[in-house]
Amino acid sequence: MTRHALALAFFAAAAVMPLVIHDAYFLDSLVVILIWGAVSAAWNLAGGYAGQVSLGHSAFFGIGAYAAALLATRFNQSAWIGMLAGAVVATAAGLVIGYLSNRLKGPYFALATIAFSQVLLIIASRWRAFTSGSEGIPVPFRPGFATLGFASKTVWVYLVLALALAIYLAERYLEVSRMGYRLAGVREDEDAAEALGIPTRRLKVAAIALSAALTSVCGTLWAQYVGFVDPFYVFSVDLSVRFALNAIIGGLGSAMGPFVGSLLITTLETYLRATFSGIHGSLIGIYLVIYGALLIVLVRFVPQGVVGWLGARARRLGRHARA
Amino acid sequence: MAALPQLLVSTVLLGGIYALIAVGLTLIFGIMRVVNFAHGEFLMLGMYLAFWTFTLWGLDPYVTLWVAVPLFFVVGLAVYAIVIRGVVRASHNVQIFTTVGLSTILQNGALVLWTGDFRFVRPWYAAVVLRVGDAAFNLSQVVAFAVAVLFTVALFAFMRWTHAGRVMRATAQDAEAATLMGIDTDRVYRLAFAIGIACVGVAGVLVSPLYSVYPTAGLQFVLLAYVVVVLGGLGDMVGALLGSLIVAGVEVVGSYAFGSAWKEVIYFVLFIAVLLFRPAGLFGQRGAESLGA
Amino acid sequence: MLELDAVTKRFGGLTAVKEVSLTATPAEIVGIIGPNGAGKTTLFNVISGFLTPETGRVLVDGRDVRGLAPHRVCALGLTRTFQLVKPFGGLSVLDNIMIGALTRQTSVSVARDEARRVAGLCRMEALAESPAGALPIGLRKRLEVARALATRPRLLLLDEVMSGLNPAELAEMLDLLRRLHGDGIGLIVIEHIMAAMMRLAQRIVVLHHGEKIAEGRPEEIARDPRVVDAYLGEEFVLADA
Repeated sequence: MTRHALALAFFAAAAVMPLVIHDAYFLDSLVVILIWGAVSAAWNLAGGYAGQVSLGHSAFFGIGAYAAALLATRFNQSAWIGMLAGAVVATAAGLVIGYLSNRLKGPYFALATIAFSQVLLIIASRWRAFTSGSEGIPVPFRPGFATLGFASKTVWVYLVLALALAIYLAERYLEVSRMGYRLAGVREDEDAAEALGIPTRRLKVAAIALSAALTSVCGTLWAQYVGFVDPFYVFSVDLSVRFALNAIIGGLGSAMGPFVGSLLITTLETYLRATFSGIHGSLIGIYLVIYGALLIVLVRFVPQGVVGWLGARARRLGRHARA
Repeated sequence: MAALPQLLVSTVLLGGIYALIAVGLTLIFGIMRVVNFAHGEFLMLGMYLAFWTFTLWGLDPYVTLWVAVPLFFVVGLAVYAIVIRGVVRASHNVQIFTTVGLSTILQNGALVLWTGDFRFVRPWYAAVVLRVGDAAFNLSQVVAFAVAVLFTVALFAFMRWTHAGRVMRATAQDAEAATLMGIDTDRVYRLAFAIGIACVGVAGVLVSPLYSVYPTAGLQFVLLAYVVVVLGGLGDMVGALLGSLIVAGVEVVGSYAFGSAWKEVIYFVLFIAVLLFRPAGLFGQRGAESLGA
Repeated sequence: MLELDAVTKRFGGLTAVKEVSLTATPAEIVGIIGPNGAGKTTLFNVISGFLTPETGRVLVDGRDVRGLAPHRVCALGLTRTFQLVKPFGGLSVLDNIMIGALTRQTSVSVARDEARRVAGLCRMEALAESPAGALPIGLRKRLEVARALATRPRLLLLDEVMSGLNPAELAEMLDLLRRLHGDGIGLIVIEHIMAAMMRLAQRIVVLHHGEKIAEGRPEEIARDPRVVDAYLGEEFVLADA
């Protein structure tokens, strides 16, 4: 029940706020929270639900970002075509990573995903002819629906909210579906799942490919919103880690977790940025030091994350109330 | 083939440095079976140590070196006690996230403290180039190589001929049996981790005249170190040495053939290839079979 | 239904299973015994598809299943359990069993009902919502069986489901297994606990150093000098159960 309440509160608030608050800075934060929440939720499909921890998801994010930017600038295509193209390429890449997940265990898989994202980074930053190399690609702002050119932050909030909600609902549905339960089995114990008739390899690849496609979609939206694609950012290990970070802090394997995690992290980051920018510019990075520490503590002592912890407390409260 | 002597020399010099990094990692991985995602960050810290001692006090990195050994050893002990010890027996995911968290802390700590600007350590001999026949090399490279070999040999000797070394090797082979024989595995792990960190910290000091210093400098080295460790056959030190030479060779030849811009692609691809096709390492050692699903 | 024809499995220089042949049908309870390291679990791994034998054939309903992925072997009607039990620790007992049931059911609600039925069969209904990871070993073993049962196997391959159980649990497990067999499920049981094996199995296969050294009814096996020889030095009681 808690999770429903939490999700309801979160998404309802996100939907209502733009109607009440018009401050551009605030709305921008909202968009950012929602996008990072959505992409972490996409990561969670592979990392939390399927138990395949990837530290190279920025590969898919970057593919989505570049697909949109390249198709818009080089081929004059609509951003939606770019999104589709990105998703297709990302799915293919996801199939490759899925294959790797069936050959490599735990940390080796994670290392391989890092290597994969770095290969893409190098290619993107050196292939001047195609990707403008290390300069990156500015995403042109052309007003209109087809080009995802919305000047209004409010429109962006609702656009990203729609995506976030769609991913959330898809994951909630997955949790109670046949595939979801079998995936949980794969996550808990792959050998046991296999012995029980679950096609573990296929399921893992499917989860990773879907995760890749969704991550790419988020990348496309992000690129359109921010207006610039920098290879050193979109393919960075740092970014991959942050996708995972949101999900872990909020709660691995729970649909709401990544959004809660994103809320916490982005809020703190925004606050620090506002407080420290200029005077001690680099102090902003402190929030990542804090989150690194939080990650270490949480993963050992509160593995179910904030959402799981809240859920447990709610259950305890419920028991007390009934007593 | 006039380039051959140069390629060979470069390979050997580079291989020595990679060996030092990899040998420390092999120790940690071989004995504790923990994949330390933060290993590269300790290298980065070594580089910064060299930079600051050089910038603030004019200390030559090769002097700082001798300070780095005990310093990083102690750092290793501390990190083990605070972070690693609790997760040695935990699930893979917990270990991954713990060391990734550590990596995040160190990288961003460096970023906050010292900014992302690229730093350089340029002692007087940085520009000195030696020539032997057709091969040219940097004095810094030679010294780095020599010191790396020195440390690696010392480590070997330690592992082979001291009691502590034997105890560590026993634990690496079978931790349960070691415990049953009265070996305090916690102390073994602590020592292994501390030595491993000392090695990579020293390596950082050694390479500081050769590479730019910045908070994420560790990343390329850590992946490289894992290529070496996997190639050499996880947990085998001789394998790590041979693996270092091979990886260095691939990098040197790759740079020569395709230009240094693409050398990173080469070793990333090499990494994935090794994991996929020779997970037991080129020398077929035990342990890597558990790599695969 | 299941037929092994001269199956051999090697690991590098070690031959874990050497030219082992045996058959099993859903109408039987076949026991596999042998000293530690005899190759019993390896044999299960080969049958269930986790390992591929170097030579020999594994036939299910006459069809060679060598090289088939384990989940397909399960789909054919053979489900195995693990010696070191592998519960889905983070999930409830009912969810564990339900995941097994989902192999044959496409509807989650039907699978859940099926899981409740199986839980009842295994006398675990009271524990339906308990987290599997918190169960003591005796109940974990029972869950392992329940979960496998939910996949509607024709042949259940049980790997030491009785070791580690106290006498009361042992009796319950034996009772459960007999009831399952009564419902038409064949059992191939690896066991160390001779007393239990003697009471349960109709036919026993004895492995030693990877080879089948004897096969027959429990009484015959108990008297077989080769079997006694193989077990010399091992702690167990062959006869009196």
